[in-house]
Order: sequence, then C-alpha cells, then structure tokens
Amino acid sequence: MASLIAQSPILIIAIPLAAAFLIPLIGMVSQKARNALVVVSLVFVAFLVFALARDISINGIHIYTLGATSPDLTIPTGFMVPVRIILEVDGMSVFFSIIWSIVSLAAAIYSLSHIASETGQTRFYTLLMLMVMGGFGLMYTGDLFNLFVFLEIASISGAALIAYRTKFADTQEGGFKYIVVSAIASLMVLFAIGLLYAQYNSLNIAYLAQVIQYTTLDKIALALFLIAFAMKTGMVPLHLWFPDAYSVAPASITGMLVITSHACMYAAFRICFTLYGGVINAPVVGWIIIAFGLLTMFVGVTMAVYQKDVMRFMSYHAISQLGYMWIGVGVGLAVLGNPQLLATFGRDAMSGGIFHILNHAMYKPLLFFTGGALFHYTGTRDLTKMGGLAHKMKWTTILYMIGTLSISGIPPLNGFSSKILIYESVYQFHPILTITGIIVSILTLASFTKAFHSAFMGAELPEYKRGKEVPRSMIIGMLILAAGIIFVTLFPSLVVDWAIHPAADALIDQSAYINAVTGAIP
Amino acid sequence: MEHIPLNFPFLAAALLVGISFYIIIFKKNLIKLIMGIAMMASGVNLFLVALGYRAGGNAPIYTDVPEGPMVLPVPQALTLTSIVINVAVLALMLTIVIRIYRHTGSLDSEKSRKLKG
Amino acid sequence: MKFILGSGYTFWNPLIWIIVFLVVMVMVYFFRRRGQKGYKKGTDQARIFLCGEEVPEAEQRHIRVGNIYWGFFETLKEYYNFILKPHTGIINDYILWFVVAIAITVIILLIAGLAK
Repeated sequence: MASLIAQSPILIIAIPLAAAFLIPLIGMVSQKARNALVVVSLVFVAFLVFALARDISINGIHIYTLGATSPDLTIPTGFMVPVRIILEVDGMSVFFSIIWSIVSLAAAIYSLSHIASETGQTRFYTLLMLMVMGGFGLMYTGDLFNLFVFLEIASISGAALIAYRTKFADTQEGGFKYIVVSAIASLMVLFAIGLLYAQYNSLNIAYLAQVIQYTTLDKIALALFLIAFAMKTGMVPLHLWFPDAYSVAPASITGMLVITSHACMYAAFRICFTLYGGVINAPVVGWIIIAFGLLTMFVGVTMAVYQKDVMRFMSYHAISQLGYMWIGVGVGLAVLGNPQLLATFGRDAMSGGIFHILNHAMYKPLLFFTGGALFHYTGTRDLTKMGGLAHKMKWTTILYMIGTLSISGIPPLNGFSSKILIYESVYQFHPILTITGIIVSILTLASFTKAFHSAFMGAELPEYKRGKEVPRSMIIGMLILAAGIIFVTLFPSLVVDWAIHPAADALIDQSAYINAVTGAIP
Repeated sequence: MEHIPLNFPFLAAALLVGISFYIIIFKKNLIKLIMGIAMMASGVNLFLVALGYRAGGNAPIYTDVPEGPMVLPVPQALTLTSIVINVAVLALMLTIVIRIYRHTGSLDSEKSRKLKG
Repeated sequence: MKFILGSGYTFWNPLIWIIVFLVVMVMVYFFRRRGQKGYKKGTDQARIFLCGEEVPEAEQRHIRVGNIYWGFFETLKEYYNFILKPHTGIINDYILWFVVAIAITVIILLIAGLAK
C-alpha cells in the first residue's frame, strides 16, 4: 500500500490514459464491458486521489520523478539543477484533483444514459478519459512544458467532445470557437515559456522560483501567462466564447469543462503565487485581478438574467461565480507582501476564494446536469417552450432547487459558507467588493427563480404529458454531486481545516514547494 | 552568416506572430483564420528554436562532434512536441470547419454564426 | 468534531440553523392544523378563479421566460443595449479583446515597474 501511494501521482495520470487506449478495443466487443471499464477506472482513480490526499496531509509535499531510481531523486549526484520530469503534488494540487475525480466520476455515470441514443459512443468515452488525464496532468505537473502539453490535451479532447453531436450546427460552432480560443491561448503560453527558458535555462517551476529576477521580459511573460489562462477561465472581457461553447455541449461534458476552467485558474495561481511569488509586484497584479474579477461578476450575472436558453444562462452564471474566486484570491495576492494584513484578512480571503472553488465545483455541474435532464426530456434547450415539468420530473426539480439555493448563497447550504467567508474578509480590503458581491447574489437568485418558474412551475403543457423521469444513471450522477453538497453543508469547518487551509497556505508560502524539489537529495 | 545580426530570427518570429494576429482579428473567412493560427504556431516554433542558438555552435549530437559549443537541445525537443500538438489542433479545426460549411453553407465568420448575445 | 466555521470576523454554525428551522417548521405545522379542514379535491373549490373570466388553456396561461422581469429590463434598457453590443458571436472580435487585454496588462506592469 505504501508503494502504491508513492507511485500514485503517475498512476493517477496513467490509468485514464491506459483506459483511453483500451476502450476502443473493448468497445468493439461489448458495450457493457466498455461502460464498466470507464466507471471502474474512474472509481479506482478517485480512491487513489483520496489516499494521496491523506498522505499529503500527514507527510507534506509529494514528489515523483519520472525515470529515476527512486521517486524523490530530483537532483542526481553531479547535477546542480533538477533534471527529468518531476510531478509535484502539494495541498493545492491535490485539492483540485479531488474535485476533478469526483466530478468526472459523476459525469461518466451521467453520460451512460445521456448519450445512450447517439452513435460513436466509444469515441466519446475515449475522449472523456483523455480529458480526465489531461486535467490530472495539469494539476500535478511540476514543470512548465508539461503544463502546456496537458493544457493542450485537455483542450483538444474538450473541443472534440463539445462538437460531439454532429447533427446540430450550433455544436460545431461552439466546438470551433473553443478550439480557436484554446489554440491561441496555448500558443501564447508556449511563447511565455520560451521567454522564461531563454533567460534561465530551466523549465522546472521550483527551480525557476528560486532564480527568477523580475526583468522586463519576465513581466511580459507574466502578463501572457495570466491573460492566456484567464481567457481559458472565462474572465470578462475574454468571456465571449464561454457561453457559446458550454451551452451546446452534452451536459456531462459541460460539467467537466467547468472543472477544466478551474484547473486553468489553478495554473494561473501556480504562476502568480509560486513561480513569481518572491519577486512579483503583488499589489499591482492583485488589483488587476480584482478589477477584472469585479467586472466578471457583474457582467456575468446581468447577461445571465437576460438569457432564454437554459444551458447558456447557466454558463453565464459560471462566469460570474468564477469572478468571486478571482476576487477572493486577488485580495490575498494584493496583501501578500504585508504580513499583518495577510494574517488579518488575506488568508481568510484566499480561503474563501478556494472554498468557493470547491462549492462551485459541486453545484455548478449539478445544475448543468439538470439542464441536460431538461434537454433529454423535452428535446430542446429553449426555456420559452418549457413549462410545468415539475409534475413529471420530481427528482430533477428537487436537485435543481438544491443547486439554486446553493449558488445564490442561501443558508444553510454550502454556497453560503464560502460566500460569507469572502464577504467578511474582502470587506476590510475595500467595501465596494462586498457590495458588488451581494448585488450579484441577489441577481443570481432572481435569474434562477425565473428559470425555475418558466421550466418547472405551472400547469402541465400538453406536449410534455407523456414521458417519465429521466433515466436512473443520470439521477445517480446528480446525486453524487448532491451528496457532496450536503456533506459540505453540514461540515464546513471540517472541509476548511482539512482541505482549504492547507491549500491556501501552500499558495502563500512558496518556500515549501521550492525546498521539496531543490532540497530533496536522498 | 556573420553579416546577419544575431537577433534577426527573433524579429522574424515577432513579425510572424504579429501578422498572424492581424489575420485572425481582421479576416472573416474561417479557412484564413485557420491559416493565421498555423502561421502563429510557426512563429512560436521559430522563436523556440532561435532562442537555443549559441554563436558558432554545432548540432547537439554526440556522434563525431567537432570542437566547440553546441546549441541547446531542449528547445528543439519543445519545438517537436509543439509541432505535433499543432498538427492535431489544425486537423480538428479543419474537420469542424467542414461540418460548419455543410450545416450553414457559408465560410464567413459572421454569416455562419448562430449563437450570439 | 466541531461544526462552527469561523474566521476572525465570521461565525457560522449550520447545525444551529437547521435546528431553528426544524423548530419553526414544527410550529408552522401546529398552526396549520388549527385551520379549516373542509377541502374537497376535484370539485369547484379547487378550480382556478380569474375574477369570473374564462381561464385559458395551460399553454396560453403559462408566463414564458421572455416576459418575466419585464420591468427590470425596461428600466435598464440603456445598460442592456450597451452590454449586448460586444456580444456579437463573431470569433474575430474575441481575439481582439484578448490582444487588448494583454496590451493593457503589459502596459500596467511595465509602468508599475518603472514607478517603483
């Protein structure tokens, strides 16, 4: 068992890759065996992720060096710099990977019946496993070039999955916009990686964090990294592609793509806090992030109230909730150089932002899955054609209500816990941030109530009188996420102590990350 | 070789990236957009290879190597990986554009869109 | 295990909230039991009453999503005209915003570096 945990970072990346290659072979033989392979491999990966998380909470940062005689041999004898590909898993990485494993398991179970009537399902599951692998690689990587490679893997498979339903025209357009935006963002990331390599001759994040000086080229590289990852996250004014791509995808893929956006936010945090942590001009970059975050929250929700397509309006809400996370962590970044303010409210603001990432990853895919259930039942995403669906879709209605109360920050659900952490700590930085956050919460509740009335409430419309509740595996996929919501609702302090505070501390203090690689000589 | 200033490849890479941004922003034809992205990929690859060059260096191969410095091999590895990834991206983009054309009958980025607002 | 989520300034205990909610629900149930009991389902008592007018069919009666919050959109019409204009759907404009954002960020970072 101990050696399994020692090898777990590479196993977590390799098992979905192996499954992705086995699925076409097994899919030729039997469909049930292919579905079983998908679910079993994702369950095993989730088990490994939780075991790794427990190990990190006891033993600290976990290093894995590919191809060395022992997993922590980062600097072999006779070398001055770390060589070989190094996977470095600290509190922040494992936090994101817990979310990713739970949501991808729920999405895979949901897809079992959501796409059951489509052709080419084997290719769907292959791309799904490739996307899972890309996400895990993005979260565990310890050097910059693998960041680029795994970002591209996740983007390419995500774009192909968005364009999965080829008989509609708007899915192709959404997939095209996603791949163009991803390609340009990734090329700018590669350009910035080239700029850093040219000056310091190394790609390892921990080593670069030690030797970086804040030259002009470094500033340009920071701007490129930040804006490219922010575009993949959906920060306003770079959000224009986000609703187009996320509203037309199959609902399980939209849930996973939201977590891919979170993973790109993780990459942006890794660059700002860990790579540039010692030398960054913290107030300026923090204020840039806060200004964009304010704009994101407000524009996201005002556009969302206006929409008439159910998945599109949920995508705009995803944009505005991502603004909350940017503000929380941006405030933490802005006071990073000031230890007294950091202890007073900076660490709490970062904890609030990171806690909001966890909560959002629980309720947003749940809401997208209910939107997909509406699409499965009625055949359309247009809210003007729906009405009175609560009579037949009882489970979906209850889960939609849980998601709505959660996203609006209504007590006792988990959205309230993270929002109150953000509001109380960000208020001491500047009151306008809290005021905007509360207005955005009110508008969020308003727009979800509007969609609830028009889709679920009212008398039964004659065209929807036949039909029954959506299939069981879709309900099970949604219930996994609802169970996560209920757990975080009842035990918020447990979650914060075990998962959130280690992640926030891992970002604030970059020296642990550096020492794990450069100090680790067996 | 001595008459070309040493940062000429960097100027060429910057020019390629700049022209490709111009193409992507101002040309409406979807195929031209894809060509712009391919050109940007070439620009970034040229930048990566050029930053590894050391004056008077030889190819980084150990067999029968002449005396003197070697150019850096890591950017060449990065460039190969990037070329392969960009091939996959371009193939995916072209496939999706074929389907957009079959559905909407137009290759114009303004006329073929259905999602707005 | 403690249930209280607290930072320096907040205090949030979900268990207390749930207990208070359940107590209030129990009180509501007892209030409701003291009400009238005579309600026959399926008779004229359960029919929709629209001031004596004819009740239309479910399809025409249901308020669609475009008509809810009409007052909100009428009041903020100028804001919505302003904010809907950049959301064109043309992919070339998306990359234009990207270049503008990079330019602004680079300029801010360079000026801040000079001013330090």
